[in-house]
Amino acid sequence: MTDKIKKKNHKVESDKITASTRSAFNKSYRAWFIKALLRALTVIVLVMLAVFFIIRLVPGDPAVMVLGEHADEAAVEALRQKLHLDMPAGQQFVLFIRNILTSFDTGISIKYGVSCRSLVLQYVPVTLSLILLSMLITVVLTVILAFGAAMHRDGILDHMIRIIPAFTEGMPVFWVGLLLILFFAVKLGWFPVGGVGSGGTAFWKSLVLPAVTIAFGQIPPLIRSLREQLIEVLDADFVVTLKAARIPKRQIFIRHVLRNSFVPTLMLMSVNLSYLIGGTLIVEKVFAVRGMGKLLFDAISNRDFPLVQAVALYCAIFVVIISLVTDMIAHRADPRMLE
Amino acid sequence: MKKLLKKLRHSTLYIGLIMLLLLAAAAIAAPYICSYDPISQDLYATLKAPGTSEHLLGTDQLGRDMLSRLLYAARTDLAVMVLAEIVPFISGIFIGMLSGYFGGRTEWIISLVTDTFIAFPYYLLVIVVAFMTGAGIHGIFITFMIVGWLVYARVAKPLTASMKNSEWVQAAKLMGYSDLRIIVKEIFPNVLPQAVVVLMTDMAALLVAIVTLGYLGIGITAPAPDWGSMISEGQTLIGTAPYLSLLPGLMVVYTGISLSLIGDGLADRWR
Amino acid sequence: MNGKRIAVLMAAAGLMAALTACGGSAAKETDSSAKSTEASAAESESAAADGELTFTYLRDDSTTSFDLHQEITENNAFAIDKVFEPLVMFDADGNIYDYLAESHEISEDGTVYTFKLRDGLKFNDGTDVTSEDVKFSIERHLEIGGPLPIEADIKSIETPDDKTVVITLGTAYTPFISELANFSNGIIPKDLEGKSEEEFFKAPIGTGPFVVDEWDPSGDLSFVKNEYYWQDSAPTVDKLIYKVVDDDNQSINQLKTGEVDAVEDLSFAAAEEVANGDGTKVITQNSWNVDEVFFNTLDEHFADVHVRRALAMAIDREALNASQTHGFGVTANSVLPAAIRYHDFDAVKALEFNVDAAKEELKKSAFPDGFDTTISISSGSNIRLQEAQIIQAAGKSIGINIEIDQKEIAAFREAFKGFNFSIMINSATADYPDANSIFAFQVDPEGFSKCYWTSYVNDEAIELLHEGQTVADGDERQEVYTKLQQLLADEVPYIPLYYPENVVGVRDNVEGLEILPNGSAVFNKVTKN
Repeated sequence: MTDKIKKKNHKVESDKITASTRSAFNKSYRAWFIKALLRALTVIVLVMLAVFFIIRLVPGDPAVMVLGEHADEAAVEALRQKLHLDMPAGQQFVLFIRNILTSFDTGISIKYGVSCRSLVLQYVPVTLSLILLSMLITVVLTVILAFGAAMHRDGILDHMIRIIPAFTEGMPVFWVGLLLILFFAVKLGWFPVGGVGSGGTAFWKSLVLPAVTIAFGQIPPLIRSLREQLIEVLDADFVVTLKAARIPKRQIFIRHVLRNSFVPTLMLMSVNLSYLIGGTLIVEKVFAVRGMGKLLFDAISNRDFPLVQAVALYCAIFVVIISLVTDMIAHRADPRMLE
Repeated sequence: MKKLLKKLRHSTLYIGLIMLLLLAAAAIAAPYICSYDPISQDLYATLKAPGTSEHLLGTDQLGRDMLSRLLYAARTDLAVMVLAEIVPFISGIFIGMLSGYFGGRTEWIISLVTDTFIAFPYYLLVIVVAFMTGAGIHGIFITFMIVGWLVYARVAKPLTASMKNSEWVQAAKLMGYSDLRIIVKEIFPNVLPQAVVVLMTDMAALLVAIVTLGYLGIGITAPAPDWGSMISEGQTLIGTAPYLSLLPGLMVVYTGISLSLIGDGLADRWR
Repeated sequence: MNGKRIAVLMAAAGLMAALTACGGSAAKETDSSAKSTEASAAESESAAADGELTFTYLRDDSTTSFDLHQEITENNAFAIDKVFEPLVMFDADGNIYDYLAESHEISEDGTVYTFKLRDGLKFNDGTDVTSEDVKFSIERHLEIGGPLPIEADIKSIETPDDKTVVITLGTAYTPFISELANFSNGIIPKDLEGKSEEEFFKAPIGTGPFVVDEWDPSGDLSFVKNEYYWQDSAPTVDKLIYKVVDDDNQSINQLKTGEVDAVEDLSFAAAEEVANGDGTKVITQNSWNVDEVFFNTLDEHFADVHVRRALAMAIDREALNASQTHGFGVTANSVLPAAIRYHDFDAVKALEFNVDAAKEELKKSAFPDGFDTTISISSGSNIRLQEAQIIQAAGKSIGINIEIDQKEIAAFREAFKGFNFSIMINSATADYPDANSIFAFQVDPEGFSKCYWTSYVNDEAIELLHEGQTVADGDERQEVYTKLQQLLADEVPYIPLYYPENVVGVRDNVEGLEILPNGSAVFNKVTKN
């Protein structure tokens, strides 16, 4: 009995995949993948080009930012020469490209005097850990809450889960962060006020509040999306049939419903993730976490051109990877999207 | 309890609308409600706590009346919020529709641009624009024109693509209507509801963004009161005069809630 | 299992693998870096058990270089001065006293300076300090020039013996002794002990109380005590950590919870909270700063002295000071900061606040009916924004419409350095503890700053400036500078608003922390109860 239903279920879920269509799929998949890869590279190049010129359009002299207002012109000019800032933009661009090609670096940071690559490598782990932790919190909470809402449709839980996001969406991130600090760090002392702890436990502990703050803003739209998809699938014929066959609810949900409803939410999450790669600035500032967001902000403020370029390059690469992986998953799940 | 919640949920649209209209009415009527000019200073009556008979919500560091500042700020913020959305809203929908309708090379180019924007660090753009224009409303408008359309294009494109092959679009084509006419007359009205739902959340997001720019010190310029600059001016005093940043913060949250409720209500209705 | 399911699972596994790969490497790297800090933390903890003292000082920017001749900004200066020390030092009243020098003598004509070094002076690697090191240090500074060049006309530096240095000037230059008190005239070992510049300034060798331990140019910096330090039983601190946090609320909260022992440079608004807070207090010190309104005298409106005077009289500076500094500042009467010698609260009279008089004054100008103009400030500073609004209101009261132009700091600097402003608010800072530091910057139209970019030219003022540079310290110099200050107070090319104090927030249990008027902290006698 169960077997029969399963078979039927598969029919509903997807088109029959025969040997011939599978090889066709593989072929078109490979073609798609190569195209996507080329496109990803184009995007990275475009971003780098845009960053190089845009950052130089902003008024402000990096040498003055290093030396301050009191340094006289001779000292400023000497520094400008040392930093190759006296070169025409075209020549600087050639230097920049050469640096990337030879050492995968954008040069020496104007402000910190060390290689930009080493700075990025120093701060990437912090930001990635922060994003990872916040994603973990986000996924777990989203799945639990969206399931809760979808399974008890129009129940108290459902209503609550749908009304609460309205309250959280209008809260600025720095506010949420500040409130969390005041309560959990200053009042209760459960977490450090800010900074990045050293050593395994202290490290992750110091990232909890910032990660929760990020998750706070991420969760509401994700819940909304997943809940909607879940309900759609729940109403689909095959699920109704499964229910009629008295298959345990939990089993139906996990094995059939979730798998059929996660793609749109995944896409949404991927967009959010791309945003987070270069967008953790506010959280990093509020929690004094030195990560990529803060590095970027300081780099722009100091007109530290090489460093801005390095951070932008890193961001572009990660964003492109994320979208590539997301597309791969989505396409595997639904080959029609290849078109 | 359950019934109440259910009722509440089904009337979210009205609750949201009422909240927003109340705010808008207060903003418009600000000159009649407030007995103080929002920018007139009294350096000898600074930081009066809320609750005094003269100043219901207290005064700020320059002795300006908080109540009238909050209401006048509503004017600035609501206006900026709406005005800054116009261009991205329309351009985003059209870019999305073009991309979805024509597909092929058009779609390829548009999505390459979109991808580049997404891969470009958001704050880099925001900060660079703000630094170039100086703090103020211009920066907010420009930034939002550059990035705001992405959301709407993302909504409009798949919707248009799914409609492209529908019978009525095909019928319109057979009748010899031009592509532009089909897009504007046939597809646009069907994309609009979804886009409006997004508009509501996006306006809330924009408001939060304005406030966040204020936090970074690159928001709207004084003395035109705005909640963002009020929060940022007040936050150094959060320990001694918390109401300075708390009150405008609550206004932002209030507005965000009303927009979010409207969006949610509309989404329910139009599904 | 059908194909689709496998595909999805594989793809999901791929994503997970990709994510964990990033995460994994991330965790690993932080672990390894964490281990070293953990180890050192463990060390300092076990050390703490032996009664060793670690002091954590929160600052808002990282130290990026120890090259004393190339640097000027506070983030570097206040780290450099922990490692390198000058021959003479300044106190909170602007007086100069002997430091590495045991004594100093200035010849009658003010051209020959003779320094005797202390006995037993050693660098932090144990080598002796000799007069040759002093000669080398000053010569390197002269050669580099740098952002804080020595202005005195040095003819020769002689070293008759190991302990004696004789510096001869071409012409008398009274501020020279104060210049020498600057961090940029710290003493470094001759020929950098044979090391390359890069090598030397990575692990700098000086006579200061602290030795660089771990240093991240983009983040924290830690020092350990210099075992060879010349001051008795100093420093009391065994390990000093400069922790970088640049968010006001973070700073205060970290101080509240005791995550740091002290916070450099609190905002005035925060200072009030910290002063009254549980477990926290503030230490204040007069500063070398004056917050001022600057007029661009090339602007048609502000070329007119009556316009400048009118606006000066329209501003209630007492109220401005009270509302902005919350008691941590004093209303200014002169361009000379209160912590610098020859400042005088009584002798120099600033224009008094009087709106009617201001209106009258404006009537005498070429613009009796007022005009429109702009005030430029840097964004990101609440105080500046509020000051600008107060001045805007003051302008309005006499018919001058002032628009506020807030520019991000780098753009702001570019604008005013290009003389592209009408009015601006900025903070003037003395670079060394002598009145000349302020006046050379604000009175000399030949100087690179063109009178702090005001382009103000006044022959009498210039004459007084030059007189002040050669007259020996004492009553006569006082007279010159009082005259100059009064002249500027009447002509108002700039309106001094207030003298802000340096405010450092500390935990209640901290004793002995000393703040210098330039804002640098001295940790030599710090204890924690």
